[in-house]
Amino acid sequence: MAGEDGKDKVAPRTTEGQRKLDRRDVLMGLSTVPALGLFGYAWRKQNQVKQAAARAAVAPREAAAAGDVREVNVALLGAGAQGQVLTEAMQRIPGLRFRAVCDIWTEYNQRRVVNTLKRYGHEVNGYVDYREMLDKEPAIEAVVIATPDFWHAEHAIACMKAGKHVYCEKEMSNTLEGARNMVLAARETGKLLQIGHQRRSNPRYIHCHDKLLKEANLLGRIVTVNGQWNRAVAADLGAPDRYAIPQATLTQFGFKDMHQFRNWRWYKGLGGGPIVDLGSHQIDIYSWFLGSNPTHVTASGGLLYHDPKTHEWYDTVMVIYDYMTPAGPAKAYYQTQTTNGSQGYFETFMGDQGTLLISESELNNPGSIYRDPNAPAWDAWIQKGYIGAPVIPEAKDEEEGASGAIADVRESAAPDRHKVPVALTDPYHQPHLQNFFDAVRGKARLNCPAEVGYESAVAVLKVNEAIESNTRLAFRPEDFKVGGEA
Amino acid sequence: MSQPDEESGLRIEGRRARDARRHSHEAMHTVFEVYALHPDARYAAQAAEAALALTQRLERDLSRFIANSDISRINRLEAGEATRVSLETLECLVIARHMFEVTDGAFDISIGTGLSSIELDEDALVVRATQPGVRLDLGGIGKGYAVDLMADVLEEWGLRVALVHGGFSSVLALDGPVDGEGWPLTLSDPAAPARVLARLSACQTSIGASGLVKGDHIVDPRTGEPVRGRRAAWVAAPRPATRGQAAADGAPRLAVTAVTDALTTACMVMSVDEITALCARSPGLEAWVLEDHGQDGAGEAGLRHFGGMHSDGPVALQTGDA
Ligand SMILES: NC(=O)c1ccc[n+]([C@@H]2O[C@H](COP(=O)([O-])OP(=O)(O)OC[C@H]3O[C@@H](n4cnc5c(N)ncnc54)[C@H](O)[C@@H]3O)[C@@H](O)[C@H]2O)c1
Repeated sequence: MAGEDGKDKVAPRTTEGQRKLDRRDVLMGLSTVPALGLFGYAWRKQNQVKQAAARAAVAPREAAAAGDVREVNVALLGAGAQGQVLTEAMQRIPGLRFRAVCDIWTEYNQRRVVNTLKRYGHEVNGYVDYREMLDKEPAIEAVVIATPDFWHAEHAIACMKAGKHVYCEKEMSNTLEGARNMVLAARETGKLLQIGHQRRSNPRYIHCHDKLLKEANLLGRIVTVNGQWNRAVAADLGAPDRYAIPQATLTQFGFKDMHQFRNWRWYKGLGGGPIVDLGSHQIDIYSWFLGSNPTHVTASGGLLYHDPKTHEWYDTVMVIYDYMTPAGPAKAYYQTQTTNGSQGYFETFMGDQGTLLISESELNNPGSIYRDPNAPAWDAWIQKGYIGAPVIPEAKDEEEGASGAIADVRESAAPDRHKVPVALTDPYHQPHLQNFFDAVRGKARLNCPAEVGYESAVAVLKVNEAIESNTRLAFRPEDFKVGGEA
Repeated sequence: MSQPDEESGLRIEGRRARDARRHSHEAMHTVFEVYALHPDARYAAQAAEAALALTQRLERDLSRFIANSDISRINRLEAGEATRVSLETLECLVIARHMFEVTDGAFDISIGTGLSSIELDEDALVVRATQPGVRLDLGGIGKGYAVDLMADVLEEWGLRVALVHGGFSSVLALDGPVDGEGWPLTLSDPAAPARVLARLSACQTSIGASGLVKGDHIVDPRTGEPVRGRRAAWVAAPRPATRGQAAADGAPRLAVTAVTDALTTACMVMSVDEITALCARSPGLEAWVLEDHGQDGAGEAGLRHFGGMHSDGPVALQTGDA
């Protein structure tokens, strides 16, 4: 046995009785005992892979064959953290055929995604320059964009002009001008442009909006809204030294250095800081659920904690929006900070008959609705399955753990708590992508088309402006339109 | 299955080891930590952060407590239904199934609900159920798998002198903090943590730990009966040299900590003969079991040692707090 020669390498026990476990070569011995060994699974697979590769080369993709969905050729532009999450979600959507991956970080992100896709039978080519990709890959029908915010406008517009449908991550753009041009390009080319506010396709959010608020009006008149995204302190992002991008490439693509390339969110002109990065998702929900765009914004923020040499945007932001909703005036508070993750992220809508507490997180507090003691009974809605039966107080702590957000609501009025009985069962971004590809196939309308993404960008980007000018800023209704609407 | 983390009976000791910078993150109901020695503290922190970020991503796929995780979706499958999962979920399931076979069912992520009714299509990343009602719980392997992936990230960043663990029940030692020596670890009695049972020096080695405190019990998935007479188990195996292969190779990773993680759970329920046989056919594998009643004349809680590359019998115990 190979173990025999491993034996020499085992250091003898020291006088203290310590023994070395440094026997990496022993495992090589294991590898010669394929199926039964501890890593037998890898051996089995290696043999299968060769056969599978041969099969994949000839067989059409199972998905296209499986359903009667039309196959769509896709490219990914921006294969970073979010590009990888989206790719992963897209691999679960039937009928997609990846053709190309474009990313300037060839040795790291691009290679990783290309390799993964190849492993699953997609013949993808890697590109650094999106223009070359658009030139050389005429078969691409849809491009999914997850580059840093300051690239979105150029990338999305070029793709649409080249005849592609586009799914573009939020924030739509770091500038209003960029966002406006994206809307115009979508209109001009007639191509689809979905913005990545994925809560718009989340079944729980849709249920709350369509059923609980609009149809059943369970909250009554919503007067206040509260929400937050708090994050604990985290080290700046870095990169393995050996995969550093050459300075010439960084400069060519608008980055000062590797640190800025990895932490673009914190830099003016590249991203928008936490309020745009995190807040944009939830402020989008405020407008959606309230059925109107804000009329004013008041905000305070600052760089209170992080190093100003590497952080240009505010690490702490507190905002108050005014709304004139169809039902009357409302105020909404939002805060984001990056020094303490207390209670994570959620949105709370408070009406005269109830409170809705909702979060995208499936782990913490995904959805609860509380009936004000004076509100009419909700029995009919329970029977219809719109909301769960009241949660018995004793069971609360066990069920939800020690969630401060719930405790607050409970202490103030002890209203009945009902669960929102709809959960997201797919990975977070899958329904929004599915909606996009359904629309590409002509089978759905976009849940977050360019115009909606634009309205959201107007509301969000104004916050940084309000902080800078230290005044309450007004929105005019026409601010939310790019002009020339039908 | 119960694996209280504070009771894994596995610890780091020694001054040089304590010099290593520690970075931690909570996920999967435990605390993951990276100990690393590197001249550039900021760089090391970024590497550790990149590695620790993986745990959250994996939890999203592997936790049965999260409604939209892969495992939750599998647990809801009706007969004949299938769902797509991530590459990592599939890899973890492949390893878990293999460990089920290797341990003759003593390690069973379905806890007796029928692992055989789950079909894995490794090429299409699809999991299919042939029967309804299977309930998977990756609690006994997910942490170890996460630790393996984290170590790959650290190496990618060039951090070699490091130790990664999840709640000290899944430990992977890379190169040791002192030249030519490993990370100094202790195995101790979970019921009496001050009682050190053995001292190990580990590098490029994975060690898993499983322990029980009073009142806990562990069920043998093969019989459904609670197991008696075991207080803790530890399993060690050397890290393969060909670990962390690029995905393009097509073969799953040689995820040694996932393997030892699974085997410690199995060692809590397998008979002494079974453990002996497992170690005999797995060169390099080493196991320790802390028995509860000292049936072997080794004291009230006797430590048994199995396997390893040396043929000179069980390790002499280092009892006491020396
Ligand atoms: N919807 C969500 O929940 C969500 C979550 C995270 C990020 N995002 C959004 O996704 C986008 C990407 O964020 P991230 O966290 O993945 O950032 P990232 O820095 O991890 O990734 C960006 C990638 O784009 C590449 N890139 C940069 N400029 C490029 C160019 N000109 N051409 C081609 N490739 C280029 C980089 O090499 C990198 O791989 C951002 O707009 C962000 O706001 C959305």
